[in-house]
Amino acid sequence: MYLVIVGGGKVGEPLASSLINAGHEVFILDDDHETVTTLQRELGMVAALGDATSIRDLSDAGASRADVLIATTNFDEDNLAACQLARNHFDIQRTIAVVHSPENAELFERSGIDMVVNATGLILANLATTIPSHPLIRLMPIGDHAKELVAIKLPAGGLLIGRKLSEITLPYGTDVISIITSDGKSKKPDPDIRIESEDEIIALSPTNSTAELWVLLTELR
Amino acid sequence: MNIIIVGSGNLGSSLAQKMSALGHKVTIIEKNIRATSSLPRGQINSGQIRVIHDDGSTASAMIAADIDNAEVFIAATGKDSLNGLTAQKAKTIFGIQHAMTVVKDQDAKNLYDSLGVTTINQTALASDQLTELLTQES
Repeated sequence: MYLVIVGGGKVGEPLASSLINAGHEVFILDDDHETVTTLQRELGMVAALGDATSIRDLSDAGASRADVLIATTNFDEDNLAACQLARNHFDIQRTIAVVHSPENAELFERSGIDMVVNATGLILANLATTIPSHPLIRLMPIGDHAKELVAIKLPAGGLLIGRKLSEITLPYGTDVISIITSDGKSKKPDPDIRIESEDEIIALSPTNSTAELWVLLTELR
Repeated sequence: MNIIIVGSGNLGSSLAQKMSALGHKVTIIEKNIRATSSLPRGQINSGQIRVIHDDGSTASAMIAADIDNAEVFIAATGKDSLNGLTAQKAKTIFGIQHAMTVVKDQDAKNLYDSLGVTTINQTALASDQLTELLTQES
């Protein structure tokens, strides 16, 4: 596969390196002279100085025969423009972009970018898992953000501890997918299963009722 | 009409003055406080031009500029790709009637025009005009 990566910084460089090791053909475009020199020294002649939003520079990087374009610059606007040029001008079949400002993720997805990697969201989700209280973790959006997969940990002393799943009225449209116990085992969400302290509920939740679900599951006695 | 302009550089501020003189209500979003100092005090004090100091590419700045009640949104910062993102956000997320932008590069004009953003290429305009002047002289 031939992949063009725009932005050879902290994300682009290790990505290019692992793709090359996996046997792919890669070319990196970056607008910083020093970054390009470093890339050429470490990875060979697979990097050039250029503007990610310039058709000429993308063309010189071989965009017209690329299978994938991955945009990893530090600027959301440049990542969006690079992916849109890739699609509209070079007819590249698959575009992937890093988005830094979480609010831009929706625009990226709606503009037809195949995969949007929300950098801030990923960091937040990882941080949330390390916070020892009873957090809500958004695992991933489903469909057009109408639903999302979430994990909610039940606090010790929670109101629902000891109740059967069938006795709990969940918000409309919510499906419990699995229950993970505090020792890491998973329980099938049968109606008769009882909720125990420190259980983590994995649920498919309509995005606008996730907060309601969180309040319900974490309410204390 | 209610018009939102992002960027208070030479272009944004001159556009704001002209549109306001024509009787339109203009809101200008500019994050650099110094860049808005050249806007006419009179029109700002009378409320004809409203200034918001914020990053005009963000949803919060657009909401502060009352985008739901605006008919026209013009992205006029100095960076083509930022103008493209900002105008597309106003159109796609907020559903503005007329999203417009000004760029320096013809490829950017072609791209944003094709995405439904009315785009002016200022470089092409200047070079066309210069060519016309020179042709008339000779």
